[in-house]
Amino acid sequence: MNPQENTLVLLLAGGVGSRLNILVQTRAKPAVPFAGLYRIIDFSLSNVMNSGMKHVGVLTQYKPLSLMRHLGTGEAWDFTGRSRGVKILPPSTGFRDSDWYKGTADAIRHNLNFVRAHPSQEILILSGDHIYEMDLYRLIEFHRRKKADITIGMMIVPQSQIHQFGAGITNDEGRIIEWEEKPKVPRTNLASMGIYVFNYEYLLKLLAEDREMVDFGMHLVPMAIARDNVFAYPFEGYWRDVGTIQAYWEANMDLLKDDPEISPEAWGIRPNIESDQLLADRIPARFAAGSRVSRSMISAGCIIEGEVVNSVLSPGVKVGPGCRIRDSIIMHDCSIEEGTTIDLAIMDKRVKIGKGAVIGQGENKNIPNSKYPDHLYTGITLIGKEAVIPAGTVIGRNCIIHPWCTQECFKDKVIIDGETI
Amino acid sequence: MKLKPRTLAMILAGGRVDDLTVLTFHRPKSAVPFGGFARVIDFPLSNLMNSGLDRVAILSQYRSYSLINHIGIGAAWEMIGRYRGISILPPYIGYGHSQWYRGSSDAVYQNLDFIQYINPEQLLILSGDHIYRMDYREIINYHRQKDADLTMACIKVPMPEAHRFGLADIDDEDGDLGGRVVRYREKPENPEYNWASLTVFCFKPEVLYKMLEANIKEDASYEFGRDIIPRMMNENLRVYGYKFRGYWGYTRTIEEYWQTNMDLLGPDPKIKFSEWNIRTNMDHRGIGDCQPLKIGDNAGISDSLIYNGCIIEGEVERSILFPGTHIEKGARVKDSVLFFNNVVGKDAKLDKIISDVNTTFGRGVRIGTEGKPGPKTASVIGWNNFIKADTIIGSGCIVYPSLPSEKIPKQIESGEVIR
Repeated sequence: MNPQENTLVLLLAGGVGSRLNILVQTRAKPAVPFAGLYRIIDFSLSNVMNSGMKHVGVLTQYKPLSLMRHLGTGEAWDFTGRSRGVKILPPSTGFRDSDWYKGTADAIRHNLNFVRAHPSQEILILSGDHIYEMDLYRLIEFHRRKKADITIGMMIVPQSQIHQFGAGITNDEGRIIEWEEKPKVPRTNLASMGIYVFNYEYLLKLLAEDREMVDFGMHLVPMAIARDNVFAYPFEGYWRDVGTIQAYWEANMDLLKDDPEISPEAWGIRPNIESDQLLADRIPARFAAGSRVSRSMISAGCIIEGEVVNSVLSPGVKVGPGCRIRDSIIMHDCSIEEGTTIDLAIMDKRVKIGKGAVIGQGENKNIPNSKYPDHLYTGITLIGKEAVIPAGTVIGRNCIIHPWCTQECFKDKVIIDGETI
Repeated sequence: MKLKPRTLAMILAGGRVDDLTVLTFHRPKSAVPFGGFARVIDFPLSNLMNSGLDRVAILSQYRSYSLINHIGIGAAWEMIGRYRGISILPPYIGYGHSQWYRGSSDAVYQNLDFIQYINPEQLLILSGDHIYRMDYREIINYHRQKDADLTMACIKVPMPEAHRFGLADIDDEDGDLGGRVVRYREKPENPEYNWASLTVFCFKPEVLYKMLEANIKEDASYEFGRDIIPRMMNENLRVYGYKFRGYWGYTRTIEEYWQTNMDLLGPDPKIKFSEWNIRTNMDHRGIGDCQPLKIGDNAGISDSLIYNGCIIEGEVERSILFPGTHIEKGARVKDSVLFFNNVVGKDAKLDKIISDVNTTFGRGVRIGTEGKPGPKTASVIGWNNFIKADTIIGSGCIVYPSLPSEKIPKQIESGEVIR
């Protein structure tokens, strides 16, 4: 049996990702669209596919519908067949353990039936929240070579960011000897990527020890480090936790750089072209005479009559004549009527913008959003799913327009910096 | 048996069409790419899907690999299920008569057992070679309403062009909708009427079976247009014409193929492409795995259709680009159709060309007769070629597929053919 076949993958896709604000109002963070055609979870799933593992359980909890629709049968990632499969594992009521997932380890503990039904050599636990490319098979090889009980995928991050991560201090052979979860004062710059390999039997034993230990990073890993073999697998390359609006925007903009570090097609990342966005039915993007597009990614089904600079457009976006779009992320089937200016915005699916509107007015990007000052503070304005912005409306910086806002929501023609509708 | 299909559709997809030269060296006409992501056969297949007809057979013979690959299991057109499906029917060896399909009607005749097994109420026979949108339910309804033995879809063509087609003289029985075919001539030298057959035939099966049997016994050629329809006219059977008034792309020459592509462009394109609901098989050539198209800083794109997976750093004007094509900085592509995975090198200038898949144009290559007056014809470049830097090629040239690059001269005059 190939070693890949001997690893069971559990993908944690239940996170709320609340700092993504209205982008996660209707969907879980892993289901947030990314890079025009993809959703965030496509990166993890494609890494698993490209590494040759055949069984994946996807643990969901928060707003799983769009995620479930997206996964479908798993065919998009080649997980259909007799000896392959993707299973959705939602929380369920049971004989004893009837509760929502209380943490990462607790989520696995609730799905021990699934784990026991797929006996394997290792269990690989991944998060569905990250943008990266990784050969997971090499991680498994490393784990076996080190005869580890647990191996954690880790990478070097700037010291200033270490407080967002689990941090590990290793010895010369790569063994983790100390662990700090989200340390205020950094002593290392080696951060956990939320990727864990466990020996199968070892994990079952560990989970059975103390049911109060509900989280890997906070409880189980520190305990294991003290007494067992826990190794750090060093990862080098592009990896982003796009958990904030700013990080999400930056990662999209990274796609547009010269010789970009991130390149979904070259990485072998697969979208699900048959899920609700129906890429399969889109004709090529149409560029009218007089359109001007530079440094952008444009998906099939778009119709561009105006100007688009430094932006990422999902399928089916219509940009009318005389529009100017800059530094923005525009999702599926948004319709932008003529003469509109959009500067530094993220627009969710099927937003309609009336003639001559301005989104991102003014040069002052420093007034943070009044309701969510720690979400929006660099000038990005968010427009929610299926919102309708009336013609001539002028919206400032760091604004939030909630999903399904209609004409009636706009009492004024002018929405000032930092306002929320 | 409510689910049992009442209509069986058969697509004639075996032909090569000599005038398309290098584009059909390695594939049948029906598998020729069209529209920036699709193939010609996607048009009849999508029409069938949109008409709710999902029991389909494809008669294939010439170089069928590309076609079989493209059809896959038929899932792209929702044609999988208990009574839904696409069957590919290639020629076969049997007990007794075993031969290639000797014509369009022979291809159907050789598969009579298949048709009789399905036992449809009507048999819809289509060409896989044309670009059009039609709701076949309308012609089927008309056919049933008239209790016709054959109903054929026809379109009015200009008289000077009419000699290229099978022509029907349709009476005014049902006005704009259609009427009885009172005369029929296949490609007459001096046409007297100009309703051209679209090769969309709706037959009453038992009548067709009789015609095919008689045709095989008595005639030396086996074509619907030349043999079966005239035979039905002679026997005074109920042959009706359904008058089609939509767009019809008859792409049998390079110039027609090029023009039909250009009909996708412009401010008010003749083909309302996004409304046609055309599906293709996204697994074929992996186009479903392409990322969105990337556009560089100094790109200029005007009046063009470009699919995912392309990288545009130069200028593109009035052109259609299939997935995986890369236009490098300073290059300019005008009035052209570039199939999958072409690379146009820095400062190359391409004017009115059709380039088949996997062809690379080196730095500074020039194709076309820019600046010279008079009508230009398209140059056609076969697949898997490498055109060396600074090569100059005129208009109306043909470069054969997969040539060693040293066999392609640095200068090719207009109209030359490089083998």
